[in-house]
Amino acid sequence: MVDQTPPVLSVKDLSFRYHSRQTLAIENINLDLHAGQVVLLAGASGCGKTTLMRCINGLIPHSYNGSMTGDVELFGQSVIGLGLSDISRRVGTLLQDPERQILGTYVLNEVCFGLESLGMSREEMLPRAMKALERLEIAYLAEKETYYTSGGEKQKVALAGVLAMEPDILLLDEPLASLDPASAHEALRAFRKLADEGLSVLIVEHRVEDVLAIKPERVVYMEKGRITYDGDVAGLVEVVDYGRIKLPADVVMRRSQGKPVKQFQPAVPKVDPESEPLVSFQDVCFQYGAENPQVLHGISLDIRAGEVIAILGHNGSGKTTTVKHALGLLKPTSGRVLLQGVDSKKLTVAESAHTIGYVFQSPTQMLFAPTVREELAFGPTNLGMPKPKMLANVEWAIKTVHLEEELATPPLALSFGQQKRVSIASVLSMRSKILMMDEPTAGQDYWNYQAFMDTILQTPGFDAIVFITHDLDLALTYANRIVVMYGGRIVADGTPQEVLAEDEQLHKWRLEPTSLLSLNRTYFERTGQFLRAEQLAQLIN
Amino acid sequence: MDRIDPRARFIVSLAILLAATSTWNPTLLAIVFAIAILWYASARLSFKDTKLGWLMISVMLFTMIVVNTLITGGGAGGVVPPGGQLIWPNGFNLFGKHFVIGLTIERLWFAIAQLMRILSISLAFIMIPYTMDSRAYGATFSKLGLPDRLAYTMELSFRFIPTLARNLQVTMDAQKARGFELDARRGGLFGKIRGVAPLVIPVTMNAIVSSEDIANAMDLRGFGQRKRTWLYQLRYHWWDWVLIVFSIVLVIVYMVLAYKYGLKLFSVPGWWYSLFK
Amino acid sequence: MSDKVEKKPLWQFGTKQVVYAAIGAALYAVITWAFNLWQIPGAGNVGVRPSIVIPMFFGIAFGPIVGFIAGFVGNILADFLSGYGFWIWWDLGNGILGLIPGLFYPIIHNYRATASIIKGEISVVLGSALGMGLAAISEMWVSGADMNTVIFANFLPAFLTNIVWGLILLPILMVAYAAIMQRSGR
Repeated sequence: MVDQTPPVLSVKDLSFRYHSRQTLAIENINLDLHAGQVVLLAGASGCGKTTLMRCINGLIPHSYNGSMTGDVELFGQSVIGLGLSDISRRVGTLLQDPERQILGTYVLNEVCFGLESLGMSREEMLPRAMKALERLEIAYLAEKETYYTSGGEKQKVALAGVLAMEPDILLLDEPLASLDPASAHEALRAFRKLADEGLSVLIVEHRVEDVLAIKPERVVYMEKGRITYDGDVAGLVEVVDYGRIKLPADVVMRRSQGKPVKQFQPAVPKVDPESEPLVSFQDVCFQYGAENPQVLHGISLDIRAGEVIAILGHNGSGKTTTVKHALGLLKPTSGRVLLQGVDSKKLTVAESAHTIGYVFQSPTQMLFAPTVREELAFGPTNLGMPKPKMLANVEWAIKTVHLEEELATPPLALSFGQQKRVSIASVLSMRSKILMMDEPTAGQDYWNYQAFMDTILQTPGFDAIVFITHDLDLALTYANRIVVMYGGRIVADGTPQEVLAEDEQLHKWRLEPTSLLSLNRTYFERTGQFLRAEQLAQLIN
Repeated sequence: MDRIDPRARFIVSLAILLAATSTWNPTLLAIVFAIAILWYASARLSFKDTKLGWLMISVMLFTMIVVNTLITGGGAGGVVPPGGQLIWPNGFNLFGKHFVIGLTIERLWFAIAQLMRILSISLAFIMIPYTMDSRAYGATFSKLGLPDRLAYTMELSFRFIPTLARNLQVTMDAQKARGFELDARRGGLFGKIRGVAPLVIPVTMNAIVSSEDIANAMDLRGFGQRKRTWLYQLRYHWWDWVLIVFSIVLVIVYMVLAYKYGLKLFSVPGWWYSLFK
Repeated sequence: MSDKVEKKPLWQFGTKQVVYAAIGAALYAVITWAFNLWQIPGAGNVGVRPSIVIPMFFGIAFGPIVGFIAGFVGNILADFLSGYGFWIWWDLGNGILGLIPGLFYPIIHNYRATASIIKGEISVVLGSALGMGLAAISEMWVSGADMNTVIFANFLPAFLTNIVWGLILLPILMVAYAAIMQRSGR
């Protein structure tokens, strides 16, 4: 696509190496951005997209040391020699985690942060802040405490803080990472609107399929520090590795025809509907203290051996609160939860851990030991497991996640993906009957989480697996039963094909239908089950 | 209290602290004490909100005054000279037993002075957190003369308190899910202290890792590049000036009386002795 | 690890230090408040104060200003959260508790090394002695107690609690910090 107007941003032959590293983080990058365009910058973790962003917004060289060659020009002027505060009026950056970007205790203070830094008077900053809030249609949040806003709102508040500085270029670092599908679509629409109003928007994201919905003018793909594709969307989906980046399902199906497919066979036993449930929720209601509203309303749910259950729902629908009841971290206000027939009120959390191994969302919230080995031994030792058995389980757990060579490494020194695997292994080593995972794919890119889910589901040793997610494709690919939660209630419960039958229903539950879902519906009469795109290609041939 | 500028509030409370600690003269202490009571009353705090603070102060005052000053005498040793008149020179009978206590008239008077002094300070400062808007700290400290970066630090701390509290709770739950129990006492004191590592390490290290992003977020919005302005509005009214002038006068008068006229020292008025005749 | 020894200016206070100081103070406050809430019984003269290691560690890891603020502001905020009012001399004492280890910051590079840990332990003892000493002496001036009382009722319990928690927890935190430094390649 040729744009005749001069670029607002122009990256020329840019290379950068971090001070502490031997190799270049990015190499020979050339990139132009034009006003009014949305450009998608895609790539797997470690491809150099974050480094490129830092070169554009001035964090490199102002906050990170290293050696840089080439140039970045804003409106034809080199950024070298510009201060961060000058760059920040031109280039606005939305960081990945709004929780870490928001600096004010109240929304209005947050939006004014940059203006305060520029030394603006109150009379000048108030109208600008309000305008930014109105642009994103969140003026009603102005007097709210930032801590009490929802995930989607937080991101808009952070974005308003950036927009208040009236930048010409907007850099968005994985803006969809923390959002559920409905909020993600809303955010994307907002980004499109800003570009249509004249901003130049660069979205760094590996959820390519989602971004394609707002029709980016251009897509740039990075691999190992270099740009390997720069062009339109139609071209991209033909050249990039569909195992690395999530592409629309029909494209994957077409491109994978005739290619070998990895075998996938879940290791849980066959479901016996007559068997005693491992966990049984009986009309569970819950509220945090009498003065707070009820958050769970009459949850009834049995979990039996052989089930792989996805608990699907928007952020704040009550998924995590429900699962916390299974482990006894929360006790029902009314109703009861039975673990292998015993009321959870009679069990300590440690006793419940024999039945349920619960992996929290973020590995950094639990890793603490000086070595991986000690990390894995922590759970079984707490449960009072005899030492030889404990050691055997540690051995088994580390093999399952393929990190045998890291046993003596401190978990905190590992990469995020490895930490995630250690956090799973540290729960596996307790040998609980059911594995429960909260947002198992959070923070990992497509390739990593696919590999990770494949491994876990094919690991023998569990009677049942339960995972919480807002990713519809993850649920339909891996689960044999889907439970949908909405507003603290279970609104659907059944096989994937029963639960995900109607788009209209899905929208009502704040879930967004995906291309993989519609593809599966098309072929359902011939397949009889929901499959991933590669498997469909094989079956339909 | 809402109408008083936060800077003036800090200045008044500080003046009460300085005045109260400048002297042991009972009359002067009584005056500060009265001012402190008025100042506290003007904040109109409910007892329900402040009761924890008062509980803590009561415990402290009890050990300080009843145990240290009245019973053992050590709490007064720095000010009241040894010796003095015993209140019960021959001891007394209570519940059929005979007690001898070395409590002197002077020490009892000192206990009252001590009570007024500590209570004045407590009254002046316990109200600050209840009456300050968390958004006001940055502007207040900056206008009181602190550099922007320092003034902003406290405000930023407030921002992260709820987030870190939630993180600590999540870590607690995550470790409980691995069979961890905080009060499981293994290995005596040493083991018990090491036992908090599974909680403290993840929360601390997570916070440090996030700090990099937080600092980036601030730099990217021009933090610390120029003299900062504040959204929070601070405006002195005439009553603020009255309070500030009053505070300065109070401190000067007390300093002069204490150091120039020797009223710094502890003394016992004659009428107090006559009470015990 | 690169051979070049990184320069560590002692009194630097840029954006990063503002964040570390603010986070340190908030952490100190939150941990103090949580352990007050959970009410775990202490043992003998030693109270339950895991938070005390925060200013010490933030001093060692990020310098004296950060350490001081983590302790000083942290203690103010902890008292705010628990509704205990404002005790400036104890707040200052807790600040010094973080400031003294901060003075060791420029001479520590590898946080895992035994020599570094020994330096850290020395700073814990010095910091606790000076910090709690100052607070106890102020108590003498404010409440008029004598030296003996101040030593046994104020100084010793605080000093003991602080060094016991500090000596045990600081090395654990230093080793963990070495791991995250290794990860980020700093």
